[in-house]
Amino acid sequence: MFGGQVQSRPALFVHFHEGIFVDRLLELSSLFLQQLVNGITLGGVYALIAVGYTMVYGVIQLINFAHGEIYMLGAFLAYTLVTVLGLPFFAAFFITIPVCACFGVILDFVAYRPLRKAHRLAALITAIGMSIFLQNLALMIWGSQIKSYPRDILPGLFFRPALSFGDVSLSWLQVFILTVTVVFMAFLHLIIHRTRVGTAMRAISQDKVSSALMGIGVNRVISFTFAIGSAMGGMAGVLVGLYYNAIFPTMGYIAGVKAFAAAVLGGIGSVPGAMLGGGVLGIAEVMGAGYISSEYRDGISYAVMIMVILFKPSGLVGRQIGEKA
Amino acid sequence: MIKSPGAGITHRSMFLGLLFLALLLPWLPMGGFTNYVLRIITTAVLYMILALGLNIVPGFTGLLDLGYVGFYGIGAYTAGLLAIHYDLSFWIIIPLAALNGALWGILLGAPTLRLTGDYFAIVTFGFSELVVLVLRNELWLTRGPMGLPGISPPSLFGHNLVHDWEFFYLALFLLMIILLVVTRLENSRLGRAWFAIREDEIAAQCCGINLIRYKVMAFAISASIGGLGGAFYAKWFKFIHPDMFKFWESILVLCLIVFGGMGSISGTMLGALLLIPLSEILRMVLPQSLFNARYLIYGLVLVLMMRFRPMGLIPFERAQADKALRARRRLAAQEKEE
Repeated sequence: MFGGQVQSRPALFVHFHEGIFVDRLLELSSLFLQQLVNGITLGGVYALIAVGYTMVYGVIQLINFAHGEIYMLGAFLAYTLVTVLGLPFFAAFFITIPVCACFGVILDFVAYRPLRKAHRLAALITAIGMSIFLQNLALMIWGSQIKSYPRDILPGLFFRPALSFGDVSLSWLQVFILTVTVVFMAFLHLIIHRTRVGTAMRAISQDKVSSALMGIGVNRVISFTFAIGSAMGGMAGVLVGLYYNAIFPTMGYIAGVKAFAAAVLGGIGSVPGAMLGGGVLGIAEVMGAGYISSEYRDGISYAVMIMVILFKPSGLVGRQIGEKA
Repeated sequence: MIKSPGAGITHRSMFLGLLFLALLLPWLPMGGFTNYVLRIITTAVLYMILALGLNIVPGFTGLLDLGYVGFYGIGAYTAGLLAIHYDLSFWIIIPLAALNGALWGILLGAPTLRLTGDYFAIVTFGFSELVVLVLRNELWLTRGPMGLPGISPPSLFGHNLVHDWEFFYLALFLLMIILLVVTRLENSRLGRAWFAIREDEIAAQCCGINLIRYKVMAFAISASIGGLGGAFYAKWFKFIHPDMFKFWESILVLCLIVFGGMGSISGTMLGALLLIPLSEILRMVLPQSLFNARYLIYGLVLVLMMRFRPMGLIPFERAQADKALRARRRLAAQEKEE
């Protein structure tokens, strides 16, 4: 924008050096815009994962460390469906989502439900244990090599720019990712605020015992929460697998932490917060990698997370929970 | 504390017996395997030290620390760099590494320990990841992914330690010191404050315990033991690399104490003694590609222990004593009613 204004001055007044300056400025601003676009796409994916953390935390106050592993399993499941069974991509995508939802429910049933009344440390340690277990299970099944989806599973259209603006371009894949994110987030928002089960979820997050006394099937609602969160997580896994063209067993651990950071940043327990946090974190990460140091790319998310937890644990739009009252 | 008469004596004699066995270990006939076995047991002793250090935070104080390996790494690099650049003696390096660990423990703990347990766990995790990133990227200091080779071995009265049995004895010596410190702490005013915090923070605060202060002390002491372990590791292995201090190491140490019994000193040591050699056996049994999948077992151990035996193999004594006390009170109450 700024570059454009400078350029629109009469050519007569443009000094030679200034011409170079303007070119450089244009180049920089288009780089900036491209980073912004990439950051928003990445943020959308983080937001999809973050809702899984945020919803589960909202309902049972547990950091579900294994959520990142559901995301990783989603990516691998779609990969297996596409490469081994030869399914078309969209079929695999839509099979992966409900299967991941089932994974989430099973995870809750097997690991967390027996510990509902135990010390919080016990559930947290179990969550870490499940995360390590699933990650290494994937390592044993699929091996440690980085896999990628075959390029021909998607119509070539996806990799062409949908919009381009000078050097800045937005590919159809990015459009697809953003659309999926926005549509499902809106859907989730409606579920939480407009349905009976959503009301039940909000009630449980306020007071589990009283909700049970009001006739809410607490365990059923918790299972539903895990199902929705895991479905979104699995979906995010497939999308990231496509976007970065790389799936590997440890992908869930890094993305999981970043998504958790996004959830904290937005305010844990809040779905719009997760979306906002994801966006901010995605942009911060891409910008940080581009302008500060690409070696510290992952470090930026950790640093953002630590800062938010320290200085504003309620997040951007959440309610106060991080500290003991 | 309730103790059955003579319990202390049995404990002490058992301890001395085990120590005697350990001292004999290098001289037992093991065919050609002596050095191999010694190296594994030295690793187990190192992890006992680490586990005793970590135990102070989740075991005594009831806070989950996922970043313990960060202090281990800081200790190792402190020792490595001091040895390479200043050629300091091992006996000076060890306390310096422990101090550096404690320093970072205080720096991290002071602002973060006011958070609830979950958030604290996440922050410690972020910290340990940042430590690895710094070790990897600050080439001017740590040589990054090239690692730090050529760390001089420790020396004693001018004699450089080279044999496996010497390192085994050194590790055992350090373990004895840490064990002394930790058992003394457990039964001190400080230890009682930690247990009070673990059982009920609000009640502890009402009894006049300054929560932040005692938590930071726990965290700093734990971090300094981590740093000491790291220093020993650097001087023993003579080569350190950022990848040695990844998150999984924290999980491994956590797994040891969960398996053995969180809060229980003997349990923590038993956990290390059982699980570390297991990992070495797996290294022999599993093919190279699957070796890293051994963490599958650690994950499973964490989940199953929490589900079926949350107190671990050797439950924390004080918990048992409390249980006995409660049972006795209940009996007394019943008798009174009758």
